[in-house]
Amino acid sequence: MSNTEEKKLALTHLWVAFAAFALAAVMGLYQVVERSGFFGFLESREVYYASVSTHGVLMGFVLTTFFIMGFGYYVATSSLKLPVWNKSFAWAGFGVSLLGVVLAALPLLGGAASVLFTFYPPMKAHPLFYIGATLLVVGSWFWCVSMIVMYMQWKKANPGAPVPLAMFATTGNAMLWLWTSAGVAVEVLFQLIPWSLGWIDSIDPGLARTLFAWTLHPIVYFWLIPTYTAFYCLVPKQAGGYLFSDEMARAAFILLIVFSLPIGFHHLYMDPEQAHGWKILHAIGTFVVTLPTFVTGFTVIASLEIAGRLNGGKGLFGWIAALPWTNPMVLAIILGLLMLIFGGFGGLVNASYAMNAMVHNTAWVSGHFHLIFGGTTIIMYFGIAYYFWPILTGKPLHSPSLAITQLWSWFIGMIIMTTPWHILGLLGQPRRIDSVNYNNLLTLSWEPYEVTMIFGGLILLVSSGLLVYNLYKTQIGGESYQGEVEYAEPIHAPSDLPEYLNSFKVWNIIIAVFMLIAFGYPILQFFRMETFGSGAWGV
Amino acid sequence: MNSVSEEERKKILESSPVGTWALMLIVGGGMVIAWLLMYYGVFLPRGHIG
Repeated sequence: MSNTEEKKLALTHLWVAFAAFALAAVMGLYQVVERSGFFGFLESREVYYASVSTHGVLMGFVLTTFFIMGFGYYVATSSLKLPVWNKSFAWAGFGVSLLGVVLAALPLLGGAASVLFTFYPPMKAHPLFYIGATLLVVGSWFWCVSMIVMYMQWKKANPGAPVPLAMFATTGNAMLWLWTSAGVAVEVLFQLIPWSLGWIDSIDPGLARTLFAWTLHPIVYFWLIPTYTAFYCLVPKQAGGYLFSDEMARAAFILLIVFSLPIGFHHLYMDPEQAHGWKILHAIGTFVVTLPTFVTGFTVIASLEIAGRLNGGKGLFGWIAALPWTNPMVLAIILGLLMLIFGGFGGLVNASYAMNAMVHNTAWVSGHFHLIFGGTTIIMYFGIAYYFWPILTGKPLHSPSLAITQLWSWFIGMIIMTTPWHILGLLGQPRRIDSVNYNNLLTLSWEPYEVTMIFGGLILLVSSGLLVYNLYKTQIGGESYQGEVEYAEPIHAPSDLPEYLNSFKVWNIIIAVFMLIAFGYPILQFFRMETFGSGAWGV
Repeated sequence: MNSVSEEERKKILESSPVGTWALMLIVGGGMVIAWLLMYYGVFLPRGHIG
């Protein structure tokens, strides 16, 4: 099967993703320098909030969405051995998303949408920002439709056969995203756009935050599932081994998808609009999500252990040293798992109902999500890119050693930047502030940590440059490369899977019931009680 | 790089991943201890709000 068009489709999406990443990385360094207060000439509240909003949108929405779509298209065609369904439709989705990014970028860069990537009202942005964000999401729905159609095409042609694991996970992610994005879509369409256009005078921030909480936690798993797909389906082969268990992988993906959705109120622990009982219900669900994370940790590490032992590693931990640390994808997972351990602990503190009060809205939170998102999720995006680029471009990777240097520098930079961030949070530094320099004893004690963070940010920016340089040089290279994605084989191939591990029908019903329980009354209450809207706030 | 015999290979594929169990216990135990340290060593000593 010739898949030249699929390669072009995937590569175009991935380049948009990494272009957004590169721009956002520059802004990240600016922000950590500006807020330190060491460089007075840089200080500008307006520029800072425009930058931090753009940084968040580019990293959280543009990098992720385009990467996930590009990765998904190529996983679908390479794992199912099918051409991408209706390529014009796929390109149309790309166009709609890209148009959305351009429209949103105009007010963002002009300082007219400094509402951060969570765009919590009553902060108010220019209507173009909300319309652009909506189009980005609508374009991604085209991708969801493509994935589901291809999954159904394959199932129809192969009745009863196990759907290839990588496609099972990708289709699950498409369904997760449809469920996930519904909350923010309702918020934007029925609250933010009418409000920003002046059709309504005020807005109910409680309802808006509740709807955004619907989206805010599972979106993390939308970002994470390509990373986990690589963990399960690509890494074991790259490490020289096998997937420990195909069934456990499917169970973990299903649990992640089902339980990541009805738990968003852990983002609202300190908010007044929801009662304690609902928050505790969501808190319990949040701890349930640690189960598939541990299942993933176990299955993936067991797969690595098998690879290490097949490579000659002995003893309880000797297999770790026997892993091919110079393979970018293997190094990416090792470093990613290390950051997941540290970030995961931070997440447990955040999710703890009482302790959350200690770190709420402090620098701890920023440190946590940079470690999880910028660490575990994104470092695996890098590993995937280094593996996919030669396949998609037909050129060998420009410099494997530079890729290894880049991954190590990203890990070191991320640890150097996020460790002081966590400490600053415990020392009481708020997040989302443009200056930390109040010239009193408390804030003076923060300075050594600010200096360390700048150093970490510099390393991360250099690392970002190395990534883009290596990918660009690969693309323009003169040599040719012939290769295709190689998926890991499980030790025991699944032959007779129960339907609940090979289909999403029953799980969609369960999700609908869970969402009704978790969000039904909490949303309905806003229409049953007297509430008061808010006027606009902004920078 | 595959430096094991066919017999060893079969044994590796059939054996329990003891190194993984050990790592998971260490990481899981470490997280519980770290959480308890944070709760009793940092959070509770701060006392009531206000």
